[in-house]
Amino acid sequence: MRRRLFIKRVLSIATVSALAVSLSACAGGAGGQEEAVSAADGPLGAYEDTLVCSMGRSTIANPKFPEGDSYEDNAYTRYLKEKLNVEVKDSFEANGEDYDRQVSLAIASGELPDVMRVSSKDVLDELVENDLVEDLTDVYDEYASDYIKEVYDSYDGRCLDGAMYDGRLMALPGTNYDAAPCVVFIRQDWVDDLGMKIDEDGDGCLTIDELENITKTFVEKDPGNTGNPVGLAFAPYLTSGDYGGSGYTMMAIGAAYKAFPGSWLEDEDGNLYNGSTTEGMKATLAKLAEWFQKGLVDPQFGTRTWDDITALLTNGQTGITFGPWHLPDWLLNNVRSMDPDAEFSTYTICDDNGKVNVIHNNAVNGYMVVRKGYSNPEVLIKIANLFFDEIVNNKNLETEQPEVYQYVTTVDNSARPIQVELNKNTYLVDEYSDIKNCVDGKISMDEVRSIESKTNVEAINRYLADPANSEVTDWSKYTSRMKSMELIDRLTNEGKLEWDTPVFFDTTETMRTNNADLNKLQEETFVAIVTGSKPVDEFDAFVDAWSSRGGEQITKEVQEIIDAQ
Amino acid sequence: MKKKTFIQKRSMRSQSMYHMMMLPGMIFVLIFSYVPMFGIIMAFQDYVPAKGILGSEFVGLKHFKYMFSLPDIWQILTNTVVIAVGKIILGTVMAIAFAILLNEIRVRFFKKTVQTIVYLPHFLSWVVLAAVVINMVNLDGPVNHIIQMLGFDKVNFLGSNTWFRPMIIVTDVWKEFGYNSIVYLAAITAIDPGLHEAAAIDGANWWKRVWHITLPGMLPIILLMAAMSLTSILSAGFDQIYNLYSPMVYQTGDVLDTYVYRMGLISRQYSFSTAVGLLRSAVGMVLMLAANGLAKKFTDRKIF
Repeated sequence: MRRRLFIKRVLSIATVSALAVSLSACAGGAGGQEEAVSAADGPLGAYEDTLVCSMGRSTIANPKFPEGDSYEDNAYTRYLKEKLNVEVKDSFEANGEDYDRQVSLAIASGELPDVMRVSSKDVLDELVENDLVEDLTDVYDEYASDYIKEVYDSYDGRCLDGAMYDGRLMALPGTNYDAAPCVVFIRQDWVDDLGMKIDEDGDGCLTIDELENITKTFVEKDPGNTGNPVGLAFAPYLTSGDYGGSGYTMMAIGAAYKAFPGSWLEDEDGNLYNGSTTEGMKATLAKLAEWFQKGLVDPQFGTRTWDDITALLTNGQTGITFGPWHLPDWLLNNVRSMDPDAEFSTYTICDDNGKVNVIHNNAVNGYMVVRKGYSNPEVLIKIANLFFDEIVNNKNLETEQPEVYQYVTTVDNSARPIQVELNKNTYLVDEYSDIKNCVDGKISMDEVRSIESKTNVEAINRYLADPANSEVTDWSKYTSRMKSMELIDRLTNEGKLEWDTPVFFDTTETMRTNNADLNKLQEETFVAIVTGSKPVDEFDAFVDAWSSRGGEQITKEVQEIIDAQ
Repeated sequence: MKKKTFIQKRSMRSQSMYHMMMLPGMIFVLIFSYVPMFGIIMAFQDYVPAKGILGSEFVGLKHFKYMFSLPDIWQILTNTVVIAVGKIILGTVMAIAFAILLNEIRVRFFKKTVQTIVYLPHFLSWVVLAAVVINMVNLDGPVNHIIQMLGFDKVNFLGSNTWFRPMIIVTDVWKEFGYNSIVYLAAITAIDPGLHEAAAIDGANWWKRVWHITLPGMLPIILLMAAMSLTSILSAGFDQIYNLYSPMVYQTGDVLDTYVYRMGLISRQYSFSTAVGLLRSAVGMVLMLAANGLAKKFTDRKIF
């Protein structure tokens, strides 16, 4: 038994090292410039001879392909062949983290595919430093369609800057639109049953005290009839740097105290600080500790896993949760499946002045790169034009390209031979206005901007026709669009959102070595403070420890990088 | 001992067939175990995949120095060693005791049934068992119901720094003792029953026979198993701890494996991870050699 473990360990070390040895042997064979295949002019100019483009493809377990289709041969790749005469050949296909490993191996072996997705800035840095990717500045200027440029411009440069090295564009960054604020979902059916009145001014904003009162009522009255209500349940990591990211965080509550843990921000005087170390953070933790004392926070906070919390929601032990606007699509739908009466209302938390504090997301999500020396680097830009301008903006896609249309509506986006998303920063508000107008009958289905919005309108109309007996998926679309998105739209229009912009999203040298330690310190301390095993004033000791264990050095490095920009 | 000299007397030629049969295995070991050991070099480099092993910069003991400069390293090493030693001791004792007891059972059907039941957890993954354990011991679980009925306060076992280590050790022993007892059962059956009969005739009771016949008869195997398990003293069971721990119990439950995992996941530190792995193997090897030396000194038996 023990021996087997030992052998297993030796073997695993062995395999890794073997790969490293064998791969390093073939590294360093980067060729020169290959001969370009000529093509017609313009953003969508087709190639005269078929251009073969090898790709690294990030896949998912169930992309829902129709029978017989694959990542290499599907409606999108056939469309690409038809329109641009480009043939996709997959160098490798892999799921999730495996994909990142494949990219590392491809870099190590020096045999990069012509085009691939790179997930992290670290890896892009490595590629650029070792001169392994093409400079895309000129091809972007020349080939990107007006609409694609408009998309990038909606981020005021925050997106393209993410892939700039010395003023040169070394990758095509994927966009990541703002999804703030963190939404609070509350069981409306319980509120109605108990005859509670919440958010009486109807502005969609709850104060911290209002949230406390609602939680208290839910804990006392146990509207889920479970005999064991738990109040507010949070995941032990508590924080998340991205509004579009994780649920079950304390981001919504932190925002009321202007606490944005983990984000690099500047104060009024331009001093750089990390959001984990502020007085606001301390106040947030103090409030959560107070609630924990009062029994308003899950008594098992700290050991509950993500799945545990989902179970608390579905079996009715808690009816308040926090997360991104799209939570109803993939998580709260479970609650509705278990309890057909479940309804959620959406709110957000405001500070004492009635303002909702939010920060911008990292505008970049993933990068597409072209191998150094590839004959036709502009093909990447053309593909982007085809998939994020031509397809998205073609009102007649359904009749002209029925197969592609079917893909847009039913197949996972990873099937596209360009594996980032390009959406305008105003995506949510734009989509909401389309959906709302169409549902209200102000515009016709043909006038709706995107195909995605169309399918959502159809789902919402189905829901509205018979809410009580509707399908769960239609209910989800209704809740995420007509409630979450509506809230974001309303807060935006009323100017309730107070934006701050993080000044830095990437990784510095010391972060690479010390972040694991600092994250551990932070998680451990925050949980201990909330559960009361350490006093709130321990926070000050945490800030000192954070600085001395690398935080100060990291701050210095971030400052240097900002100053250099 | 006798057997060994007998084998040595045989000529190489008569055994060449057997050596040939071993050859594929040896080649396999050579290619997959010895050749990759050159990868150890990574521990002394700042390894960058794009540059490869030959191109990466040598940095000497930087990663080892860094490892010991980490503020939590002693805490983590303590956790690792305490948990691993606890598992080795309790696991060995339980497996031996179980083997001796099981050997006493004469009803074949009952014996087989018990064996199957205690082997079963060994074949389940910790991902599954962790869910079982969590549900058993959480605040609303059966264990806490019993504690409450007995008039004590509920305990958040997996969130308490007092209880986390015992929980890890006990659940691991529960999962593995049945399977580990197989080898001890085999050792017991190898003992000449004549010795037991003779002792019984001389008036030795059950305890005396266990103490003077069964245990000494098992000693070589016990020593071997104990020495082998020492190699894993710096790995306290990643699967198990990763699935059961949380930030609340980092203080007593964060071990070398979990720490390196979080470290590696965040920052792809190949060289650092190799350095940790190398340290772990080196410590394991030293301990195993020491155990071998001690075994020879005190019992006059060599393990290998």
